[in-house]
Order: sequence, then structure tokens, then C-alpha cells
Amino acid sequence: MQDHYDRLGLSPGATPAEIKAAYHAKLKEFPAHSHPQDFKAIRAAYEALRKAPRAEDDFFAEVPVQAELDPALLDQLQQRAIAAVDVTLEDLIRLTF
Amino acid sequence: MGQIVGIDLGTTNSIIAALEDGQPWVIPDEDGTVLLPSYVGMSDSGQLLVGQSAWRQYAAAPDRTVKSIKRQMGTDFTVTLGDRTYRPQEISAIILRSLKQRAEAMLEDEVTQAVITVPAYFTDAQRQATKEAGEIAGFEVLQILNEPTAAALVFDLDSEDSETVLVYDLGGGTFDVSIVEITGDVTEVLASHGNNRLGGDDFDRQLQRYLTDRFRQLHDTEVPNDAATQARLLQAAEQAKIALSEHAFTTVREPFLVSQGETALHLETDVAREDFENLIKPLLKETLDAIDRALSDADMTPDDIDRAILVGGSTRIPLVQNLVEGHLPDTPVSSFEPDLCVGMGAALQAGVLSGAAVDSILVDVSPHSLGIAAMMDTALGPMPGMFSTIIPRNSVIPTSQSQIYSTAADGQQIVEIEVFQGENPVAKENVPLGAFRIEGIPPKPAGVVQVEVHFDFDINGILTVTATEKGKGQQQSLVVNDTKTERLSSHELRQSRDAIASLFGALPLFDAEGDDGEWEDVDVEAEDQE
Repeated sequence: MQDHYDRLGLSPGATPAEIKAAYHAKLKEFPAHSHPQDFKAIRAAYEALRKAPRAEDDFFAEVPVQAELDPALLDQLQQRAIAAVDVTLEDLIRLTF
Repeated sequence: MGQIVGIDLGTTNSIIAALEDGQPWVIPDEDGTVLLPSYVGMSDSGQLLVGQSAWRQYAAAPDRTVKSIKRQMGTDFTVTLGDRTYRPQEISAIILRSLKQRAEAMLEDEVTQAVITVPAYFTDAQRQATKEAGEIAGFEVLQILNEPTAAALVFDLDSEDSETVLVYDLGGGTFDVSIVEITGDVTEVLASHGNNRLGGDDFDRQLQRYLTDRFRQLHDTEVPNDAATQARLLQAAEQAKIALSEHAFTTVREPFLVSQGETALHLETDVAREDFENLIKPLLKETLDAIDRALSDADMTPDDIDRAILVGGSTRIPLVQNLVEGHLPDTPVSSFEPDLCVGMGAALQAGVLSGAAVDSILVDVSPHSLGIAAMMDTALGPMPGMFSTIIPRNSVIPTSQSQIYSTAADGQQIVEIEVFQGENPVAKENVPLGAFRIEGIPPKPAGVVQVEVHFDFDINGILTVTATEKGKGQQQSLVVNDTKTERLSSHELRQSRDAIASLFGALPLFDAEGDDGEWEDVDVEAEDQE
């Protein structure tokens, strides 16, 4: 975390507004088209700090459930897999990694 | 160094803009017209026609006229004009070259570098084809820029506060919606969504079908299905569509459309705006769904949008504005230079890239997810051929992301990396971008050997994939170009460039090929890098 703060020239406890202002200032210094590597590092730091839990956030809040796969689609896939039994499982794995 | 320009290469119309004292302006032709119809044709004497003249001959000679080539970009479609067949990027290059000539005549200077815009939702292959079109036309393409993003660059905000803007861009053939946050001179795209096959062309075709039905009702006979008659009807439909943006009714008159024995049959019918609206409403409904999708990707609700801006010629249709207003009830919706602002934004970005005094910082996203085919755990157990996303859609570009995979079978010695672009959980349902293998992996039990797959996606949408076997450190990489429509080699590009240049006949002002083989040098450099 400290790395991310350092990257944007901030100290821990910076407010969201300060984080955004520092991010924008760094963008001007290292635009994406001329400094792609610096840009990526700045962006990564900004995303990490922006998403970091803040005091007012409920630490025990439920994490959203991962999107479920459509059962109909899975059925289709299974059908397709069964239809392809003439291919050995190992071939199948090798083909698809 | 020559002048730099921004180009909006549209489905129906194209424009070219330059910077003067940091302000963009759209360059007109010698008659003062700024829009160049994106039509290319060959006259009956074999003369190249571009723009207005090609548009004018379309109804009479559809077989010698090409329209809406943007819809074919990135495909292996070809079209024959005169004695040569052309790829979509070559037809686009003719339009670009015509714009280049116009700019050079007006600026009295060489124009060499350009930013060219594409729909945000364009795929890798469509972007690549657009870049090639620019190179064939004799430009150095500085950047392929997203159209709604370009439009957003033009808005001058007075306040230093952040404003969240929804850009709704409905053009002749494509639709994009982007959610953009503008803070001072920083323009940051939060999410983009769209449809590469939805625009004014589709509305024309709906109306053309409607006119065909009317004709049948009036004369109890079919409209012949020949190209010339259909082209006349299509152009009549386009004119009626434009008229209906201003008026509640319009009359379509196509005399002598069909001859039946001795008598000629005419088409004369009134079309009400409401009839037209009923035809296109289902298509427009899709654009509203796209707004919702972009909002949800940006983690926002309509309340978070400070204003919506309509861009693109098709937003002149009153129903478009009504539907967007109805969908975003508390958001002011306005229109701003719907035909010009994309090109003006491209000129601004060209200024930024060339180091001109333009204060503007752009952060853009890629609207498509990128990943590989892999065995993944599902509710039915492990499934091969699933799409494992490495760069999720709407990631800020440039970006680098890695994911670690492991072998799926005991003793597996080969790993095939198949790269796809899209949103379907089944890999093969997405757009294939390329594939490569890592061989000679030491035989170990399943899951023991790890392979790190690294995606590097640059600002122009060029993807480099590197796979590294963690044990022995074997590495393979691939710079992705579309597998189906292979990138043209530099030799092919030069051949196209020469062929297109020769079509323009007499050497135009500041013709790039004219000055002592400058292009040869460029090609040698390109080959060395490969």
C-alpha cells in the first residue's frame, strides 16, 4: 500500500479528492502516449488506492457473489462434450489446454 | 515537418480538421463544403470519383459506386471498380487521400501525420484495417482514436469540478455510448459500449423496404430487384429520412421507377414521421440497452450522469433525442456539432501527440474483454474451451495483465495459447485473435507445471501476448494481428499506395510519393523492426 501512496506522492490517510488530484497531476507528467510504463504504474496505484477500504466502509460487508453461469448454456456445453466422445479426453484437454 | 490533422472517417461522411493556435477547425473543399460523402466510384470513362460526384452517380450506377465501406473494414470483402478489385482499406484510403489533398491545397503545406477516429466498439481487426487505410493514403497514423472520446475532447468546461458526461454517438453505420469524466483538461473514459452494425444505413434500409411495400400496394406489382432500381429507392429513402427530421410528413416521388409494357409506373407516396419512427424504434431500443450496460460497467446509475451529449448525424432524428431523454429523465440532453465534433477532437489529440501547445490529457478504455481458452471449473465440473478473461472489458489502456495457468493433463508437454476478444463464456464464440504453442514442457503430473500468460495492450489496441513456463523459463510470444484478415505486409502496403496514388492521376500538390523515395525509407525501417 505504501508503494502506491509513494507512487502518487501521497501519504496514507489521503482523502479520495486528494488521491484523484494527485493522480491527475501525475497523468500530466506521464501521459499514456509518451510514457506507457509510468502511466501503467500510476494507474495501478490509483486503482489500488481508490478501491482500498476506507474507515466508513463496512469491513464485514458481504462480498458480491460471483456471476453464475447460465445452466442452459452449461447443458448445451455438456451436450456438445458428449457429442464429441470420439475424441479422447486427453486429446480434448491437449487441444484446449 | 508538415501539418498534422485529425480525420473522422465516417460511414456516410468524412471530414478533416487541423489546428490553428491550438483550436481545431474543419477544412472545407474549394466550394466551402466540409462534409465529404464517403462514396467512391468510377465514371463510365474510368475516371475516379470521390465524395459528392460519386454520391451523385450512385442511383444511376450502383455497380460502379461504393458506399458505406466502413462497415466492411476488417473483413476479407472485396469490391471491383474498373479493372481492379479493392480491399476495404483501399477504398477507405481513396477517401483519406482525397481529404489529404483537400487539406494540402487549403493549408498550402504538406500534411503527413494524422489521428484517425474509429467507433469505440471497433474490434482489433477493424482498427488495424483503418490504420492500414491511413498508411495506404500516405499518412503516418499517430493514433487510432475512439470517436466518442474524440467528441468528448471538444467540450470546454468552465468549471474545475468534475463533470460526468454520457456521449451517445449514432452515426451512419455504427453506434457507441461512452461515459466520460471530464475534470479540467483531464478527459477520462469510464466505460464504452456499442454496436458496429447499427446506424443511419439501417434506418434507410427499413424505409426502403417500406417504400417497396407501398409500391406493391399502389400498383399491385413488385419493384424489380435490380441494383439500379433498388439504389434509387435506397437514396429516396435516405432523402425521406432526412426530411422527416424537419417535417411531420414528406412526399417521396420517384417517377418512371418501373416500366410495365407501354406504361411507366411511378412511386408517389406520403410518409409520416410516425411511420418512420415505428420502423426504427426496435433498433433504437438496442441503443438504450447499451446505455444501461455502459452505466453498469462504470458502476453508475442515470443519476450520476450530469449531462448527455448527442453526436453523429443520426441523432438529428427527433425520436433519438426523445428516447434518450426519456431514458435519462433528470439529465439534460444536448446536441453539439453532431457532424463535426469527432473530427475536431481528433485534431486536438493530434496536437497533443505532436507536442503542439494543447493542454489535454486523455485516459481511454478498451470496450472488449481479452483472454484465452482454458479449462475452467464450472457447476458441471472442469470444462475445456472456456473463455478465461485476462484483460476485462473497459480496462484503461495501455495496460499489462498476467494470469497463471497450470497443465490440465498428466505428462502434458504442449500448451496451446489461443487468444480471443469478446464477452462469451465459451472461448470459440468470441473473435479469435491468434494462437501459439509452448512445446517441450517437462512431463509432470497435471497441475504441476505453471505457465504465466502476460497480455500487454497498448494505446493503439495492439496486443502482445507472452507465455512463460515457470520451471524452465521457456518463453513464447505473439504480437496479435487478426488471423482471418492478415495484416498487409509493408510490400503490399506500398503496392496499394502506388496503385491508389496513380488513380489520382496528375501529381497533386505536395504528393508524398513525388519527393525522392521517402516511402522506401519508411518501408525499410518497418521491415527491420519486424
